[in-house]
Amino acid sequence: MKVNIQEENGKALVKLEGRLDTTNADQFMKDIKPLMDGTQQEIDVDCTDMEYTSSQGLRMFLMLQKNVSARGAKLVLRNMKPHVKEVFDITGFSHIINIL
Amino acid sequence: MPLKRKSIARRLGRYVLLLSAGILVSVSVLLGFVSHRLIERVSMEVAGKEVDLVISDIEKMISEVERAVDNVDWFVQRNSHRQRFMYEATRELVLSNPSIIGSAVAFEPYYFKGTHWFAPYTYIDKETEEIRTIQMGNSDYDYPALDWYRVPRLYDKPVWSEPYFDEGGGDRQMATYSLPLKDTTGTFFGILTSDISLSWLSTRLQSIAPYWDSHMMLISARGTFIVHPDRSLVLNATIFDQAAKSGDERALELARNMVNGKRGSSRFRGTNNEDYYGIYGPLSNGWSVLLVTSYASVFLNLYAYNLVLGILMLLGLLALYFGCRNVVRRQTMPIVEFSQAAMTMAKGNFKARLPEVRTQDELQTLNKSMAYMQQSINEYITELKSTTASNERYESELNIARNIQMSMLPQNFPVREDCDLYAMVQPAKEVGGDLYDFIEVGDKLFFLVGDVSGKGVPAALFMAITRAAFRFIGALGISMSEVVERVNNSLCDGNTSEMFVTLFAGCLNLTTGELDYCNAGHNPILVIQPDGSASFLRAKPNLAAGLVERFPYEEEHLRLAPGSRLLLYTDGVTEAERPDKKQFGEQTLLSWAKKLNPGVSSNAAALELYSRVRHFAAGAEQNDDITIMSVLYKAK
Repeated sequence: MKVNIQEENGKALVKLEGRLDTTNADQFMKDIKPLMDGTQQEIDVDCTDMEYTSSQGLRMFLMLQKNVSARGAKLVLRNMKPHVKEVFDITGFSHIINIL
Repeated sequence: MPLKRKSIARRLGRYVLLLSAGILVSVSVLLGFVSHRLIERVSMEVAGKEVDLVISDIEKMISEVERAVDNVDWFVQRNSHRQRFMYEATRELVLSNPSIIGSAVAFEPYYFKGTHWFAPYTYIDKETEEIRTIQMGNSDYDYPALDWYRVPRLYDKPVWSEPYFDEGGGDRQMATYSLPLKDTTGTFFGILTSDISLSWLSTRLQSIAPYWDSHMMLISARGTFIVHPDRSLVLNATIFDQAAKSGDERALELARNMVNGKRGSSRFRGTNNEDYYGIYGPLSNGWSVLLVTSYASVFLNLYAYNLVLGILMLLGLLALYFGCRNVVRRQTMPIVEFSQAAMTMAKGNFKARLPEVRTQDELQTLNKSMAYMQQSINEYITELKSTTASNERYESELNIARNIQMSMLPQNFPVREDCDLYAMVQPAKEVGGDLYDFIEVGDKLFFLVGDVSGKGVPAALFMAITRAAFRFIGALGISMSEVVERVNNSLCDGNTSEMFVTLFAGCLNLTTGELDYCNAGHNPILVIQPDGSASFLRAKPNLAAGLVERFPYEEEHLRLAPGSRLLLYTDGVTEAERPDKKQFGEQTLLSWAKKLNPGVSSNAAALELYSRVRHFAAGAEQNDDITIMSVLYKAK
């Protein structure tokens, strides 16, 4: 899983690439640490090249969501592939995470 | 032995040999050049001294002869009118000096009245060696017409004649010193002569040979050979003849220098086309001494010296080569041993003995590095062994944990006529959080399949909590939505680690076939009709449990015809991967379900699906728990 974070006008632009599963979930956690510690009011995640997420991956998104909500900021996931979006739908995560 | 190959020792030996040979040859060439110059100079000096010695010898003889003649001159002048005394005078000269073999006083014609020729002559007889005195002037021997008489008279001074062969007088090779006689008034009245033998000179000169191939020669003022090793040339040839014969300009120049009374030395080519040195010096009477020595004989010693030097150098080089090879071989022996030790280590024996190195050099550094490497490897192996041991312990503990976890899941399935339920969890290598459960309450069957997010001990513990909650809440006889809500609430209570579980919970009324179900973010289950047709039950997803407290879960309803089958599973089935990362997927699952014999037992159906999934994985490691539950509704 490649994580590319850029900052623009207090907005974090994140680009994800590859698979997110149990084996690299810890690394992913470290990669998105700057977002957890950051002060950006908007975090925009581009999921165009994200191939897969396991339930462990969902947990990571959930933690990020809770963190962002706690400081009153916004998290948006964009351009998710249908089969990845399906995982979010099935588990009901679409209800608690803003997916565009 | 690796030494049999091209060894460093041999190569170094060769380099040292080539280098030394190069240096030695250069030095030898330089040395040879310098020695050549030096030897040439020294030889010329030695030869020059030899020539000087000969010159002074001959000068001494000449001056003695001249002095003897001068002494007698006085006697002759005072007694010139006493004919008898003149005989005495010549006799006195021959006796007084061993070099003089003949002497004459030859008077001008008619110096004595009535006497045309008067010339008393004393000589040593060649055969008898007796001293004889005669009067030699007569009509046959008209001496005033001869050179020895005319030339000094003409020059009016003492003269040495060209050497000649005297046939009448002494019958031998000789040269004559002639002194003009004058009376008190200065009037010329005759010639006083002394003859010297050239054979004496020849013997004297030939005994001198500073080099094995060298010869002393004597030439006259005109260049005629007086002494020459080739006797046939004496008096018969000049040095110019010989120089012309050799055709060498340097030889001609030497000849010219000699007759011009110069001294010196030069190198020239002889008549036999070999190289010679000529060292020459003049005598006061116009003659010249020449020492000829062959080039080869001068440098004979140098040649011998060079030969010995060459042999010694060759021996020295060989000694150097073998010595160097030996030293290098001994010095590099540890390298060979190091390579053997490394080879032993490569084969797995990390305690291979290292060669001892006593020298304080790179080899010792190598020894230290290798010893350090050995030590590190051995420590690492020890550490690895203990890590492996602790890992094994850890794994065995995990296995126990998994066994406990699995044993928490019910293994005794209901045996009923109206229903056939079977479920299985095939755990992945790592402990996961899949679960299933069922409770029979009267004619109602509560069942559940769930999947906890993540893996490992946390997932296993979360799974245990979930199952315990369901066990308790499910048996309360409340609606499915309420069951899931309560389970969710109890999971949310104190869940700070953001763990969650997807659940599919159902309640089947075995009398009516009525199914109440609630989905909490779980995979869609399969419904297989009695006729074998199959489809996914697209239930409302709600939200996975454990995330949001008091989430309003909604339940749904479905009526099953007898012979219908529900197939519940976790994503370990649909996301089972082949080595090429292709997933089993819902479509494969659906087509499998459509081909399933509708009447087959739940046990057979679950095992068949499992074996189908493993077959699909084609040997790839199972990375998630696989849970399958089959509920076949048969009715009474």
